Amino acid sequence: SDESLFVYDCSSAEKQQDGKGTDKGSDDILAFAFSPSGGYFALTDDSKRLILFQTKPSWECLSVRFVNRRCTSLVITAAEDKIFVADKSGDVYSYSITEPKADGKLELGHVSLLMDVALSADDQYILTADRDEKIRVSLTKAPYSIVSYCMGHREFVSKILVIPNCPDLLLSASGDSTLRLWQYKSGEEVHCCQLSTICGPQAAKPDQKYTVSRITYCCQGGYVAILCDSIPTVYIFQLDATAQQLLYKQQISLKHKGWDIAFEEMGDLWILQEDKEAPLLMYRACDGQWKAVTDDKGLQKMSEYIQDNWTVFEGFVGAGSYYSHLYKASFDNMDEYLQRKEKRLQQQKKKKQDLQHGSSGQAKKKMKTEEPSL
Amino acid sequence: MAAAEEKEEEAALPPQKRFYRQRAHSNPLADHTLCYPSRPQDMDWASLFPSFFPPEAPPGTPPARVEFADVGCGYGGLLVALSELFPRSLALGLELRGKVAAFTRARIRALQAAQPGRFGNVACVRGNAMKHLPHFFLRGQLSKLFFLFPDPHFKRTKHKWRIISPAMLAEYGFVLRPGGLVYTVTDVPELHQWMLQHFGEHPLFEPLPPGQLAADPLLPLLPAVTEEGQRARRAGRPPSTAVFRRRPDPPVL
Repeated sequence: SDESLFVYDCSSAEKQQDGKGTDKGSDDILAFAFSPSGGYFALTDDSKRLILFQTKPSWECLSVRFVNRRCTSLVITAAEDKIFVADKSGDVYSYSITEPKADGKLELGHVSLLMDVALSADDQYILTADRDEKIRVSLTKAPYSIVSYCMGHREFVSKILVIPNCPDLLLSASGDSTLRLWQYKSGEEVHCCQLSTICGPQAAKPDQKYTVSRITYCCQGGYVAILCDSIPTVYIFQLDATAQQLLYKQQISLKHKGWDIAFEEMGDLWILQEDKEAPLLMYRACDGQWKAVTDDKGLQKMSEYIQDNWTVFEGFVGAGSYYSHLYKASFDNMDEYLQRKEKRLQQQKKKKQDLQHGSSGQAKKKMKTEEPSL
Repeated sequence: MAAAEEKEEEAALPPQKRFYRQRAHSNPLADHTLCYPSRPQDMDWASLFPSFFPPEAPPGTPPARVEFADVGCGYGGLLVALSELFPRSLALGLELRGKVAAFTRARIRALQAAQPGRFGNVACVRGNAMKHLPHFFLRGQLSKLFFLFPDPHFKRTKHKWRIISPAMLAEYGFVLRPGGLVYTVTDVPELHQWMLQHFGEHPLFEPLPPGQLAADPLLPLLPAVTEEGQRARRAGRPPSTAVFRRRPDPPVL
C-alpha cells in the first residue's frame, strides 16, 4: 500500500469571494471528523470552508463548500450520506456527501452557541450540546421533533459522545467539572462524576476547573480517556455498562500541554502534546495499567511526520484556554433597582410607624396613594 | 445562578407602576442573572402555588403541574384573566424584564390578599423563555402557550431575537402536548404575517379549525386583557389573533 503522507494545504484552497471582504478568516482548522468506517474525512476552518475528502482507495479532496457561520463541531453519518455541522450561532446544517457540491440545509437551531454535535450509532438520533447547559436529542430525519433534553449540567456542555457499544448511553462533559452518563432518549441522568474529587483537589489550585476538552472511547474494555483544558494530564476511566457508572482507573501525567488524545481500536492510546521533541506518545494497557510504549514503528513514523511539519503546529504553541471565556459572567441592571426598592419599602414602613404613633396630619396627607393600576 | 433576593412589599397593596418602569425591550440572547432550575424536577412549584400543594395531601397524590405558560407576560393582565376563567389550572408567566416581573408578582399578591382563596393558581417568574423553557417544563407538560404582543424586533438583523422562529417552534412543540394550543396576538401586521408563516410551515403545528376557534372562550378576551392590547386599541391599531394546534409526534422510524 501507499505509505506516503497525504498533505492538503488549506491556504492554497479556494476562498469565498464575497464583495465585502470584511470577514476574512485564517486557515486554522476549527473542527474535523472521520466517518465511522474511516472512508470519509471532513474539516471546517476559520475561513468558513467545509472541505470533504475520501480516504479510500487513496486520499482525495471531493469538494470545498462554504458554511454560513464558523463551525465548532461536525459529524458524518454511519450511512456516509451526510455531514452535520454545528455552528457558533446555534444552528446545525446538513451537507450531502453523495452530492458533494450541494448547498447545506438548516436542520435545527439552539438560542446559544453550539459546542458539539453527535449521532447515535444507527443515525436515528442527533444530539447537540450548547454553551448554556443543554443537551438536545432530536430525530435525525425530523429534527424539529425534540425527543428529550438531558438537563443537569450547570455550565456549558463541552463534549458529548454516544457510547458506540451501549447505544442508549450518552457521555457528556461540561464546564461544571463533571462527566455525566445519560439514558439520552428519556433525558434521565444515570451517573454524575465530579472530576474535582477524582482528579484533584490540587493543593495549589483549590478552585481548579476540570473542563474536558477531549473524550475518546475504546469499545474493547469500555475505556474512556479524557483531556482537560490547560491541565497536562490524561485521565482514564472504565465504563461499567451494567451499573451505568464510570470507574476511575489511572492518570497519565504529561510534561507538556495535551492537545489531543485518541484510542486505537485495539486499545492503544495516542496522545498529541505541545512539544516538538516528543509530539506523540503512545500508551498500552498491560495488566490493567497503562504504560508508555516507545519502540512502536507506527509511533516513530508518525512522530517524524509531525516533526517534519512542525511549522503547521507552531501557531498553536502557547495558545490560551479555549474555554475560559465561555463561563457566564453575570450581567444585570437590577442591583440599583433593588436598592431603590429597599429604600422605598423602609420609608413606607417608617411612615406606617409614624402614623401608628399618632403623628401629625401632614403624614396623613402624604398617605394619599395613586390610583391602583389593577 | 442565584440572583440577589428581592424583598417584597409587606402590605399586600396593589403595586404602583411608577416604581416598576422599565424600557420595553430586553436582549433575549444576553446572560442575565436569572434564577431557573437546573431541571424541571428541581423546581420548587409549591412556593409559587402554595394552595395547590397542601402539606396534608394524601401520599401518592400526583403533584399539581403548570398547564399554561404566558411567554413575556408583562404586567400580568392575561394571568389574571386566566385565573378567573380556569381557577383549577396552574398558569406561569415568564417575563424577562426584572422590574416588570416584580410588578406582576406584587399585583398577584395584592389580588390574593384582597380576595382570599382566589388567584392562587397564577404566578410569575423572571425568566427567559428563549433559553429556559426546558428548565421549567417537561416534554408535553403544557396545554396552552401564549404569546401576547411579543416584541416585533423590526430590524432584519434582530429577527433572530424574535420569539417566534423555526428553531424556537421546535422547543414550543416539545413543551406542548399533542393537541395543545398556541395563542398569538399582535398589533403589528408584519409580525402577524411572520408568525402565521412560521407556524404554517412547521410540521408540528396546524391552524385551529374554524369551528373550534369560534368555541374558544379565550379568543374574544385575548386582545383586550393586556396593557399592550388596550394601548393598541386606543391608538387605533386593531390586534390580530391566531391559534395553532400541536400536531401528533412524527413516528420514530
